[in-house]
Amino acid sequence: MPARNHRQWNDVPGVLKPGEWVDSRIYSDPDIYEEELEKIFKKVWIPVCHESELPEPYDFRTSSIAREPVIVVRGTDNQIRAFLNVCPHRGMMIERRPSGSFKEAQPSGNPKHMTCMFHGWMFDMKGNCAFITRGEDGYQDRLKKENVGLRRLRCEVVFGGFVWVCLNDQVPSGVEEWAAGCFDCIREAVDTEPLEVFHYHKAIIGTNYKLWHDTNSEFYHDYMHYHNRVTGFNDEYFARKNVGFPNGHVNVNSFTVKYEEYEGFESRETLSFPGFPPNQWYMIDFFPGMNFNLRGSALRCDIVTPLGPDKVMIEFRGLGLKSDTPEERRIRIDHHNSIWGPFGRNLHEDLIGVAGQGSTMLPGSEPRRILHGRHEDEFIHDEIGMRHFYDEWGKWMDRSPSNPMEKYMAAAAE
Amino acid sequence: MNANGTVTIDTVKDTVYRSCLLLDDENWDGFLELCHESLDYSITAFSPEINRDMIYFSHDYNGLKTLLEQLPKHNTDHSPLKRHVSVYTVDLDEKNGAASSVSSFVVYQNMLDGINSHLDSGENRLFLIGKYYDKFKLDSGRARLMERQARLDTRRLDKGSHFII
Ligand code: FES
Ligand SMILES: [Fe+2]
Repeated sequence: MPARNHRQWNDVPGVLKPGEWVDSRIYSDPDIYEEELEKIFKKVWIPVCHESELPEPYDFRTSSIAREPVIVVRGTDNQIRAFLNVCPHRGMMIERRPSGSFKEAQPSGNPKHMTCMFHGWMFDMKGNCAFITRGEDGYQDRLKKENVGLRRLRCEVVFGGFVWVCLNDQVPSGVEEWAAGCFDCIREAVDTEPLEVFHYHKAIIGTNYKLWHDTNSEFYHDYMHYHNRVTGFNDEYFARKNVGFPNGHVNVNSFTVKYEEYEGFESRETLSFPGFPPNQWYMIDFFPGMNFNLRGSALRCDIVTPLGPDKVMIEFRGLGLKSDTPEERRIRIDHHNSIWGPFGRNLHEDLIGVAGQGSTMLPGSEPRRILHGRHEDEFIHDEIGMRHFYDEWGKWMDRSPSNPMEKYMAAAAE
Repeated sequence: MNANGTVTIDTVKDTVYRSCLLLDDENWDGFLELCHESLDYSITAFSPEINRDMIYFSHDYNGLKTLLEQLPKHNTDHSPLKRHVSVYTVDLDEKNGAASSVSSFVVYQNMLDGINSHLDSGENRLFLIGKYYDKFKLDSGRARLMERQARLDTRRLDKGSHFII
């Protein structure tokens, strides 16, 4: 068909059915974005960091979920706990640094405490209020430190030592149950011995967080990656399956990557993870937007923090084994960087891709259909991963992804 | 410092400045000509977030050459990177025919096609800040780069880059 006029452009292309596209307003509408924070991000488990980022008692790490500041601390009992990083007095952010230790004294407070710099209230590693400056002078017996503990948050350390936090006290299940088996494919690899983060960088991109998750969920875009075309496109690659799990999670099954086909790159068979065959590549797309990607010698994890309908922060981590020798670690770092580093071959291409989508879907842009209607018996270029995700998204939002101003209806095309 | 030493300090500075002009022009071959075949090139950073020294990119001479030759096969943000550099210190080790230098850099992206060129092209965005820690081999009146570590302060790298810094 030649280029289309406006009416033809708005018609359903071919005989695709609802569920084989989404309406671009899910990526651009400010009300939908606000609703996603309330109905999804404040309700589900979100990984905020890795346990190796706070290795010692009194170590902490700060983060945020759906605009709510979060602090994660390791107690004297080695337990990792999470709290709202908000002072119960007058709402100051208690800890401003990204990471550090409470062992040392702070200008406003004593060692071994979290101290709010503003008026010097102090809290212990379990979130109890330990001291109110001139407490009785001002509050007599109307307010005691027992009344002003921190807001405790649900927190679990699972799946290779990631620290998961949930803003919802009533969350019906732990992370394990919520994952519904989607981590089984790399379970032995990441849970046999402790892992350690060796890479961190972040990106703030003018695009919707789901467009990043889509890119992590569809492999059809390997056409964009010269590296993946030459190291991947073979019979084994086209036999990879996309597998849906309950709660909107997806696995992309493995195959043997031929890294040596990219000039200047070497095979990664020398180094792997426990029980994980060399040069394999498994991918977990975790609802509502996190990604765990084990490519032979390195584990990558993407954590998204939506900042607006058209803005997202993505934190990129690379992990190896804590027991790595310096030589092994160096190999993992090289392998990780060559593809996924900020100067690597693929990550830059992926980010240009979603930034380009973001530019055509600004808030207020004309709604259009964004297709994910490829069916190939769930093999690698089948877009079932995205369809599976959006069906779950529709349930949480009670909106139809294909027509988000209507209530959710089971998709016709899953 | 003797007259010969002074010349050599200038030679080292000259190599640093020329390397930046050549990189600004994406003249990768020209840049590699300033390098010794034993070049060790890396982009590194310290992350206070994870409290760790990190390597973001590293290659030897041949690895870098191959990678730069393959650039046209990749989809790339073509916004040129423009470097502003000051050489802060040069230390000569004439006995061993070696030198080292520390330079600070600021790298701007001169926007072209990275996001939405209708709006963004022609604009400059601050991309990176950091320092070059360079080591040189001195022979036949030249200072050739043996080691370049571009150590970044920036860790929010947004789209990143296929180019070297
Ligand atoms: S706001 Fe924290 S002590 Fe006052
Ligand atoms: Fe990709």
